[in-house]
Amino acid sequence: MFRGIWSTLVGLLIEDGQLAIGALIALAITWALASAGGDAAQQVVGWVLLAMVLALVVANLYRAGVTARARVSSARR
Amino acid sequence: MTHRRARVASEDHRPAGHLTGTRPIIGLVDPVTLAIHATPAFVASAVEFVEATTIVLAVGVTRGWRAPLVGTIAATVTLAIIIATLGVAIVTIVPELLLKGIVGALLLLFGLRWLRKAVLRFAGIVAVHDEELIYQRELAELRAQGLQRKEFDWIGFLVAYKAVLLEGTEVAFIVIAFGAAGGTALTAATVGAIAAGLFVIALGAALRQPLTMVPENWLKFGVGAMLCSFGVFWFAEALGMAWPGDALSIPLIVAAFLVASWLAVRMLRALLPEGAQVEARNV
Repeated sequence: MFRGIWSTLVGLLIEDGQLAIGALIALAITWALASAGGDAAQQVVGWVLLAMVLALVVANLYRAGVTARARVSSARR
Repeated sequence: MTHRRARVASEDHRPAGHLTGTRPIIGLVDPVTLAIHATPAFVASAVEFVEATTIVLAVGVTRGWRAPLVGTIAATVTLAIIIATLGVAIVTIVPELLLKGIVGALLLLFGLRWLRKAVLRFAGIVAVHDEELIYQRELAELRAQGLQRKEFDWIGFLVAYKAVLLEGTEVAFIVIAFGAAGGTALTAATVGAIAAGLFVIALGAALRQPLTMVPENWLKFGVGAMLCSFGVFWFAEALGMAWPGDALSIPLIVAAFLVASWLAVRMLRALLPEGAQVEARNV
């Protein structure tokens, strides 16, 4: 069980570290917005978080695609 | 803000049926609430049960059924003890909104990981996780180790115990996460997980072969989107947001994740039309 938890943590924080860090920053921005922005801001934080996370997913996958393309082309050389 | 938080906190203790305004039909749980909370837990748990069942089947077919079945029962008992001590303690001690925030953040982190891998697999950049391959590998390893007939098969026991305990821990996490709102949500998540377990075990028992017909990457894709959606939903709720239509906005959030992921798959296919077989950790 502990090995499973450990491999999950390693996977989350190291293998997909950039995605996890991006998500944590998005969560922190959402929390700051809800804390400082008043009632009106509180009612839109979910949509802001959703938009940030969607942009993060697409950007992270684009970067993964570019990295994979570079690896494939260097392996062919 | 405090006023709003107090209102949200009080809403968390509303009777079942508040999500849709309908009257409770099945005991304290109305069907829409049950479906919303049980379906994600069902699908997510099914993925884990498929993996565990595949390994138990591989052990049973090659080395006999006694040891893997004893291992499965032992792992189930261990899991029940873990859930009864840790799970209940977490749900009862930690304040509800704080728990929602923490669980929401965790769901989002885990969901993003699943979604990313599923998209990379669909785009052909990472190899598809193949249950048939796992089954054949387990068969080959177990046959290589051999067995003397009259001894209790400790290898078979340990392999089944380890597989069921590992995957079961993930199911326990899923149930606690989806049921973090307590009451109805916890009941529905438990019902979803148990139904998934019974469904997958029945399927495995009937077919006695790896569950290759279950399109695993589609399941992981859907589950990833659902985990992310619940994560966003609960984290924002914990901060005091009232979603329009309450839980009825979850399908909208899921749709947003699915559309973004589909666009990402198309983008990756345009970048790498021939695909690649790169390990997920390397991209």
